[in-house]
Amino acid sequence: MDRELICLLVMLAVFLLANLLAKLPVSISMVLGAVAGALAGGQGIPLRHLFEGTFTYLDTILIISAAMLFMTVIQESGALEALNAVIVTRFYKKPALMLILLMFMIMFPGMITGSSTAAVLSAGALVAPVLLLIGIPKEKTGAIIAMGAIMGMAAPPINIPALLIAGGVDMPYIGFEGPLFFITIPCAVIAVLILGLKHCKGLDIEKLKAELDLEIGKKYGFRLYIPIFVLIILLVVSKLVPSLPQLGTALIFLISAAVGCFTGRRFNVWEKSLSAMETTIPVLGKLMGVGMFIQVLTLVGARGWIVVSALSLGTVMLYIFSCTIMPAFGAISSYGAASVMGVPFLLVLLQTGGSNDIVLCCMLSFLCCLGDLMPPTALAGNYAAQIVGLKYSPVLKKCVIPFLICLAAGLLCLIFSGSLSFLTA
Amino acid sequence: MKKIPRHILTASLLTLFVIAMVVYLGLNFRSMKEEEPIYPGPGVTGREMLSKYCPSLEGTSGDTEIYILDSGVPGASMLVLGGTHPNEPSGFISAISLIETLKPSAGVFYVIPRANNSAFTCNDPQEGSPQRFTIETAGGSRWFRFGSRATNPIDQWPDSEVYVHASSGQTLSGSEIRNLNRAYPGREDGTLTEKVAYGITQFILKHDVTITVDLHEASPEYTTVNAIVAHENAMDLATLSLWELEDVMKISVEASPKKLHGLTHRELGDFTNTLALLMETANASQGRLHGTVTPEMIVTGQDKFYVRAGRYGALTVDFPESGIGMSERCARHLTALFEFCRAYDGPAGAIDPGDVPGYKDILTNGIGAYLASPK
Repeated sequence: MDRELICLLVMLAVFLLANLLAKLPVSISMVLGAVAGALAGGQGIPLRHLFEGTFTYLDTILIISAAMLFMTVIQESGALEALNAVIVTRFYKKPALMLILLMFMIMFPGMITGSSTAAVLSAGALVAPVLLLIGIPKEKTGAIIAMGAIMGMAAPPINIPALLIAGGVDMPYIGFEGPLFFITIPCAVIAVLILGLKHCKGLDIEKLKAELDLEIGKKYGFRLYIPIFVLIILLVVSKLVPSLPQLGTALIFLISAAVGCFTGRRFNVWEKSLSAMETTIPVLGKLMGVGMFIQVLTLVGARGWIVVSALSLGTVMLYIFSCTIMPAFGAISSYGAASVMGVPFLLVLLQTGGSNDIVLCCMLSFLCCLGDLMPPTALAGNYAAQIVGLKYSPVLKKCVIPFLICLAAGLLCLIFSGSLSFLTA
Repeated sequence: MKKIPRHILTASLLTLFVIAMVVYLGLNFRSMKEEEPIYPGPGVTGREMLSKYCPSLEGTSGDTEIYILDSGVPGASMLVLGGTHPNEPSGFISAISLIETLKPSAGVFYVIPRANNSAFTCNDPQEGSPQRFTIETAGGSRWFRFGSRATNPIDQWPDSEVYVHASSGQTLSGSEIRNLNRAYPGREDGTLTEKVAYGITQFILKHDVTITVDLHEASPEYTTVNAIVAHENAMDLATLSLWELEDVMKISVEASPKKLHGLTHRELGDFTNTLALLMETANASQGRLHGTVTPEMIVTGQDKFYVRAGRYGALTVDFPESGIGMSERCARHLTALFEFCRAYDGPAGAIDPGDVPGYKDILTNGIGAYLASPK
């Protein structure tokens, strides 16, 4: 047995024992797994590597923290309630159309930022109360938000796993829009209809109106929505005009949140901000633990063992691994899956005759994005569950069917990438 | 005495532990700023800083040394870029070898050993790389830094989600915004990385450099490896050189893709009159397939997983059990550089590297024999 495999097993065993038996938080369990792996690999306690590993997620952590503050502000200011009232009263007669539009709304921030977390915490937080109001159960609402955020993360123009894979093989990020829309839009529509349609037929608008706060919108008017517009405008402008100084997604969320403090109902910003950060710290901890875990995985050679073992299995198994191990790696990090597995998988799959490199890259990135539903990190599922006030397990259970449909669609497109070449034109 | 509440005590102890860790690791991180010594050899006639060609670089981590090796005999000139990616060490070591041992007979050599100086001061997170490695020379061992592919985030941060290349509008992954070899021709008022690229481009323009060679390495599974990548203007030179090089090594010539922007072999060829070439050797410490990367492995190039991957047909080069060592990788770079000089027959006149070792000499004696002893 390879030493690297032993290290991998030690890391997984210590993580599971610490998390499931000792009931330690996921973040601490991952740190313990990483330390145990380093000891098994003869690296001692590699403080530098543990510290360095966390830095991969520094930007993500800042974005999540800033997005949580934004979400809190628009909830407390009343913007969320006002927006719900507008959407429901305008679209209640066409529930399927309403659901699809809401799904696109959830996807939008993910499309712009390439982050499912940003999508869940911004548009997801806006849409969740609407979905709950029209009668969709909490767990299904969470599942819709999680699936929408992941489809947004995978949809163009910004798909970070695709950028990472393309960058790894020096492929320009050109011609990716067609294949990415081809896979994400149908999957998003199917997911939202499967999860939500049966719950919103025959809506009683009078009953809904009684539950909606129709007054707050009248009281503050358009100014309630200013922080949302500021967010959209800054996100879009920073992407459309790259020559402008880049504020960064985290700062854009913070600016929008700051604006929101003055556009609606008054609230205690300090208290609400503290409470928002308290709820988000466990997920930030998970990300840091994951960073340490991957760094040690590479340090002891276990990453190499995993990738080379996957490559040894031949093309058919590589397809199977692409739709199993790659999304599963998302339990650690979907970006990590793209970088660690996506690049070598693409290089090997390119050797199969008749394949299309851009379609292959798009579909591999799509499968990586699905990893944001994988526990224990399950970034999309985690925050979607938090928004609807549940633990993430019931939300993830409701995601299983749409997840499997997406997986099958991704695998088919991967196998028949050559036939989809026309999408790259 | 009033008892300290337990949660305060725990929090205080944890805070002290974190402060101690930050200090210890901060000092460790700062140690990467210490530059490995370079001992200029008999051929070095001058030294400049890149900030002369982009003044806003002065005093920043992006400023770097340019060594001038002028034969005194008029002729063509060659710029050699090492350390564009400090995690591709054979380019860096080859450049140092030139500075320490080359004595040209005609023309001028310019060598920038640490093209992205800032990238030498950090490692890539999640790669688990060592910070240093050593090479044995006749007079003892010498240490060198193993850095990052990209500019240190301390010097340039945050990355945007997507990097849009300034002159072409090409989009790449956001982390590529700190990659020097995606920043050419650079911008005087751009990011630190773009300023470095701009300085190098201006240097080439001001000195009308005849040939520019950017020394790189790639993981053994990468498609462009053991190769010369040539701008269309440099294709004749690369092809002529290939005929001779093929007698001693497996090597190919690839055309610089016209749609892939920001790279030396594309932009320096487009924006200057230089004949732009880029070299790639196979480096097992890069890529995703390797086992543990130790300082020894960086030099020996041995890795059991790459051997296995070769058996599965996942590599683009032969990967022997004995590895692809630093000496072989440097031998490829240096032999090709010297061959470009011999093959050049253009209007700028001759460029002669003088008495230089052959490919087999470097393989037999090791690259350490062509580095100065530590002083």
